[in-house]
Amino acid sequence: MESKFPNRFFPLLVLLPTLLVCGMFLYYPVAQSFSWSLLRAAFMGLRTLYVGTQNYVRLFTSPDYLHSMWVSILFAGGIVIFGLAFSLAIALLANRKVRGARIYRTALIWPYALSPAVAGTIWLFLFNPTAGVVNYVLERTIGISPDWVTSQNLAVFLVISAAVWKNLGYNIVFFLAGLQNVPGQVIEAARIDGAGSWRCFWRITLPLLSPTAFFLLIMNMIYAFFGVFGLIDVLTKGGPARATNILIYNLYRDAFQHNKWGMASAQSVILFIMVVGFTLLQFRTTGRKVHYGG
Amino acid sequence: MKRVLLFVMLTLLVVSGLVVAQEKTQITLWHAMSGTRELLIQRMVDDFNLTHPGIEVAVEYKGSYRDTLNAAQAAAVAGDAPHVLHSFEVGTQQLLDMGIFALAEDLIDEYGVVIPWGDYLAPALNYYKIGGRQASFPWNSSNSILYYNKTLLDAAGVTMPREPTFEDIIAISNAVISAGVAEGGITWPMHSWFFEQWMAELGANLVNNENGRAGYATEINLLDPAAITIMSWWKELYDKGLWINPGRENWSQARQNFTTQRVAMMISSTSDVNLTENAAFEGGWEVGTAFMPVPLGFERHGVVIGGGSLWVTKDHPDAELKAATELVVYMSQVSQDIEWHQGTGYFALRNTSLQALALEGWYELHPNYKTASDQLAETQVMTATQGALAGVFPEIRTFIEDAAEEVYGGTPVGEALAKAKALIDQALVDYKELMGG
Repeated sequence: MESKFPNRFFPLLVLLPTLLVCGMFLYYPVAQSFSWSLLRAAFMGLRTLYVGTQNYVRLFTSPDYLHSMWVSILFAGGIVIFGLAFSLAIALLANRKVRGARIYRTALIWPYALSPAVAGTIWLFLFNPTAGVVNYVLERTIGISPDWVTSQNLAVFLVISAAVWKNLGYNIVFFLAGLQNVPGQVIEAARIDGAGSWRCFWRITLPLLSPTAFFLLIMNMIYAFFGVFGLIDVLTKGGPARATNILIYNLYRDAFQHNKWGMASAQSVILFIMVVGFTLLQFRTTGRKVHYGG
Repeated sequence: MKRVLLFVMLTLLVVSGLVVAQEKTQITLWHAMSGTRELLIQRMVDDFNLTHPGIEVAVEYKGSYRDTLNAAQAAAVAGDAPHVLHSFEVGTQQLLDMGIFALAEDLIDEYGVVIPWGDYLAPALNYYKIGGRQASFPWNSSNSILYYNKTLLDAAGVTMPREPTFEDIIAISNAVISAGVAEGGITWPMHSWFFEQWMAELGANLVNNENGRAGYATEINLLDPAAITIMSWWKELYDKGLWINPGRENWSQARQNFTTQRVAMMISSTSDVNLTENAAFEGGWEVGTAFMPVPLGFERHGVVIGGGSLWVTKDHPDAELKAATELVVYMSQVSQDIEWHQGTGYFALRNTSLQALALEGWYELHPNYKTASDQLAETQVMTATQGALAGVFPEIRTFIEDAAEEVYGGTPVGEALAKAKALIDQALVDYKELMGG
C-alpha cells in the first residue's frame, strides 16, 4: 500500500524541526570544525591565522599523535573483545531460569546508570594505593601494593577494565533481549538430534545473536573512541607519559586546556573521518555474514 | 475631580522617580574557588553589597581555573563577559592578549578609586606587572613550602633545618624509612608548578626574553643546568622509593599521603596550612614547616607567587566599570585581606595586614603561617622569581609533566627534557606568530 502526502511541501514541513535542530547542533558545528581545522586559533576564535594544511601535516608527522592513535586502537580492541566476551558470558548465565533471575538482571544493568565521573571516582577509590580496598586485600594476601595509576601498563589495564565494566550493563541488556528471541524449539530439536550445549551455542545461539553482536560491536567501538573520555579524565588524565592519551583525550587537551582550537578542530575532522570509515568497513565486511533470519 | 487626577499623577511621578533612584548597578563576578572558599567569597561579597547601597554584585563559581577562563572566553565571544574575572597566574599572558580586559592601573586612574599600591607586597604586585604597568589586582596568592611530620621525624631521630637542602631531604627520607616509621619519605603532586618554583629558587628564568617579560618568549630553558639538576634529583628520589607519586596534578592524594602518615614530608601550596594543621590535630601529631629545599651549594633566590588575581573586562557602561573597580579594590582592603588570609591560608597581601596580624599574635599561634610569609619576604626581586609570562603556559605544564613521567619511566633526563623543550618552543613560536608579535 502506498500512502500519499497532500502536497510536495508537507513532508518538508514535518521534517523542518528535526532539520533545524540537526542543522544548529550537528551540521553547523561540523562545518565549523572543517573550516577551523585550516586555522591557528586562540581564545575560542577571537584570534585566528590561516595556516592551510599545517595542522594536518603536523599531526601526521607528530610521533605523539601517532602514538595516541595506536593507544586508541589498543583501547578499542580491548574494550570490544573483553566487553563483548564478558557481557555475552554473563548474559548467558542471566538468561537461565533460576530463582531471582530478575534481581540478577536488574543488578547487572546498574553500572550503566552511573555517570563516567562517578564510575571513575569509584574505581579510583577501589584502586587508591593508600586507602583502596584492592591494595589492602592484595597486601594482606600476597604482599604487593601496586601503584595503579602511576605505572604505564597498569594504568592502561585499569582504564580498559573500568571502561569494560562501565559498559557491561548496556551490552548485557541487548544480549539478553537477543537471547530471549532465540526460538526454544530449534534448540530443543537440536538437543533431540544429540547436540551438546557447546554445539548448540556455537551453531544456533551465536548465529542467531549475530545482528545484536554486530550492533554492539559498532556501539562499543564508538564508546571506546568517544565514551571513555570521562573515565580517563578522572583516572589518569591521559598519563602516565601519554600511556592512556587516546585521540579524544588529546583533542580535549588541545582545545580546552591548551587553547589550540585550530589544532583541535583538525583532530575532530580526523576522528570524524575515522568513524565514518570504520562504520562503512564494518557494514561491508561483517554485515554480509550477519544472520538476520527471523 | 481635577485635583484628584493631579494628585494621582503627582504620586505616580514621585513613585516612578523613587524606582529610578533605587535601580542598582548590577555587576557579576566569576571565580574558581570551591568548598569553604566559595562560601567565604560569597560572605565577603554580601558585605560589599551591604556597604555599597548602589551596587549589586552577583557571584558565580565557574569550576576550575581552566573552566572559568574557558567560560569567560565563550562569554566574551558572545558579547556577555562577566565584569570581574578571577583567574590563575599562568593565564596572565593569555588574558592580556585576549584584549577584553582593562588594565588595573587605567581603571584606578579613570574612576578615582583609592588603592595604596605601596602597601602591597612587592612579589604579589610584580607578577601581574607587565611592561612596568599593573595589569590586574593580586588577590589569592600562595607559593610552595615544605611540610613535615615532626612526630615521625622525632621518632626517627632527625630534625628539619629551617632551610633544607636536596641532600637533607634524601637523608631524612632514608632515616624515616629505615626507622620504619613511614613507608616513604616525601610526596608532592606530580605538577609542573613545583618544577617552576625550583627554577626560581635556583635563579633560572623558565623562558627566554627576560622570562617572557621583555617580549614574547620563544624558548624554554629546559636544558639549563638548573632544570637538569632538579629533574635528576626528582628521579633519584623516585628510583630510591623516597618520593611517593600521588598522581598527576593530584593535590588531594598528596595531602592524603601526608596526613595518613604514609610519608613524613610533603611539598605543597602555602594555602594548605589550614587543612594540614587541622588534619594533624585530629591525627594527634605535630606538623612543622620549612622553606623549599634547594641543592647543596646553590644560592637560594626565593619563590614565585602562585594563585590568582582579579581582572575587569572593559566593554561595559561607565557606572558598571566604576562599580567593578570598587569591588576589586574592596576585596584586598586590609580587613578583607586579613579575613581571606585567616580563612584560607592564602597570603595577606598588605604590609598593614601583616603588622596587624603580628600585633594580634597570629603568627605565634600559627608559626606555620610565619614560615610561608618569611619565605616570601626573603625572596630576591629578579625576573626568575617574578615568574614567567607565556601565552601557552597550560601547554608548558602538560609537556613538563609528560617529561617528568617519562623520566621516572626510565627515559634519560636530558632526552626527556630535550623532547619537551622542542614541543614547547614550537608552541611558543606559534603563539607569538598568532599574536602578531
